Amino acid sequence: MAKKRYAMLIDMRRCIGCHACTVACKAENAVPLEVNATWLKIIEKGIYPNTRRYFLPRMCNNCTDAICARNCPTQATYKRDDGIVVVDQHRCIGCKYCIASCPYDVRFINPLKNIVQKCYFCVHRVDSGLVPACVESCPTRAMIFGDKNDSKSEIAQMLATNATEVLKQEMETDPQVFYIAADETVMSNVEKKINYRAESSLIKLRL
Amino acid sequence: MENSDVNVIYSVQHQLPLVMYIGQYFFFTGLSAGSFVISVIATLLGRREFKPIGKITAILAPILLIIAPLNLIADLEQPLRFWHLFVFYNWTSPITYGSFLLTAYPIMGIIYAIMVYTDRQKAAKILGIIGIPLAISVHGYTGFILALAKARALWNTAAMPTIFLVSAMVSGIGLVVIIAAARWKWFDKKATPEDRKKDKKLILQLAQFMAYIIMLDLFLIVSDILVLLTAHSDAYQAGMLILTGNFAPLFLGVEIFLGSIVPMVLVLGPTRYSLRAIVIASILVNIGVYAMRFVMVIGGQSIPLS
Repeated sequence: MAKKRYAMLIDMRRCIGCHACTVACKAENAVPLEVNATWLKIIEKGIYPNTRRYFLPRMCNNCTDAICARNCPTQATYKRDDGIVVVDQHRCIGCKYCIASCPYDVRFINPLKNIVQKCYFCVHRVDSGLVPACVESCPTRAMIFGDKNDSKSEIAQMLATNATEVLKQEMETDPQVFYIAADETVMSNVEKKINYRAESSLIKLRL
Repeated sequence: MENSDVNVIYSVQHQLPLVMYIGQYFFFTGLSAGSFVISVIATLLGRREFKPIGKITAILAPILLIIAPLNLIADLEQPLRFWHLFVFYNWTSPITYGSFLLTAYPIMGIIYAIMVYTDRQKAAKILGIIGIPLAISVHGYTGFILALAKARALWNTAAMPTIFLVSAMVSGIGLVVIIAAARWKWFDKKATPEDRKKDKKLILQLAQFMAYIIMLDLFLIVSDILVLLTAHSDAYQAGMLILTGNFAPLFLGVEIFLGSIVPMVLVLGPTRYSLRAIVIASILVNIGVYAMRFVMVIGGQSIPLS
C-alpha cells in the first residue's frame, strides 16, 4: 500500500462563507488574538447589479516540497511521513525565516508562546482517527479531508473526478490543499494588484 | 486585469517576520567583510604606508562581527535557544551555513589581528588569504538568506548575494576612510610631513577605489531592477514598489542619489583632493547602504502575499 498522504479538498461550490472553520480552528488549537491559522478570505467582485462575494478558506497547504521545512535552520519544521508539515514547539528558536520564505503567509508567531505556529491539519485529531476541526465544523460539508493515496477515500475519488486548483502553483511547492471552483481573483494576490503601495499598517515594526 | 471592481472584505495578513534587526545585522557583517578585505589587501601588498590602514581594519573586522550576531540573537523569539542552531543544524538552510561561518570568521579575524599587530607578516599573509573566502562567504550567505526565501519576489534573485557583497565592500571602505581620516586629522601629528602626505594620498586612493565599486553596485542594482520589471507579476510589483511606491523615497532618494551618486561625484569630481568632501562621501555611502538594507529587508516583505 502506498504511503499515507493527507490532503484537504475545499469545494467552493458549497462554501457559504460562514467562518465556522475559522472559529473551530481558533477554539481547537487555542490560537491567540491577532493571528490565524485558518481564515476565510472574502472579496467583493463586479459592478452593481452584477456583483458577488467570493470566499476562500485559507490555511497552511502542508506542501510536499515545503520551503519552510527546507529553510528551517534547526529542523523544528519538518515533514511527517504522512505529508503533514509540523513545527516542533520545543525546538523552534523563533528566527522567523520560515515565515519570510512561505509564499502563502500562513505562518505566524504565537504571541503567548513566542514560537512559530501554523495549521497542522489538526495533527492530534488526525492521529486519533478524527478529521481536522475545520472539516468537522463545516456545515455544508465543503471541506473534505483524508488520505489521497487511499483510492477508497472520499478525497481520492473527489480529486480524481473534479477539476481542482491550488494556490500559487508557480512556487512549485506542490500544495496539499485543493480547491474546486474557486474564483480566480480571490485566489490571486488581489491586495497586491489593487495597490502595490504597501499599506503602512502592514509594517508594524516590533522594536 | 481591471481591478477597480474588486474589494477585499476580509483577509488576514500576519506581521512582518524579519524586522530591522536583520537589516542591521546585514549592515554590520557587510562593514566587517569590507574592512577585512581592505586589511588583507594592505597586508598582501606589504608596503610601509599601508600598515596603519591594515592595522585599523584588522581590528575593526572582528569587532564588527561580534556586534553583528547580537542583532540576530536579539531578533529571535526564543533567544536562549540559539544553541539549537549548532545542535539541530539543517544543511539545506542558509541560516545553518551562517551559524558556522559566523563562529569561524571572528575567531579567524582575531588571530589575524594578533598576527598583524605583532608584525608577523608571513602568518598574517597566509591567514589573510584563507580569510578572504571566509569573509566573502560570511557576507555572501546573507544574500542567500534573502535569495532562498522564495516567497518574496524582491529577494528571490541570483544577483542578491553579489549585490550584498558589493554593497558590503562599498560600506566597508567607507568606514575605513572615515576612521583613517580621523586618524590622519587627530592621531597622526607625530609623523613627518612627508609621511602625512603619503597617508593622505592613500586615503584619497581608497576613496577612489570606493567610487569605482559604487559604479559596480549601481550596475548590479540597475540590472536587478530591469529584470524585476520584466519578470512575473510579483516581481513587477516588487520593482514598482521600490521605484514608485512607498519605498521610492528611500530607494531612489537615499540609496541611489544620496548614497551612490552624490558620493561618486564628491570623490571623482572637482572636490577629489579635499579630505572633508571624501569623509562626507563616506558617511553618505554608509547611510545609503543602511537604507539599502532597509529597502531590501522591509520592502521585500511589504508586498501582501494573499
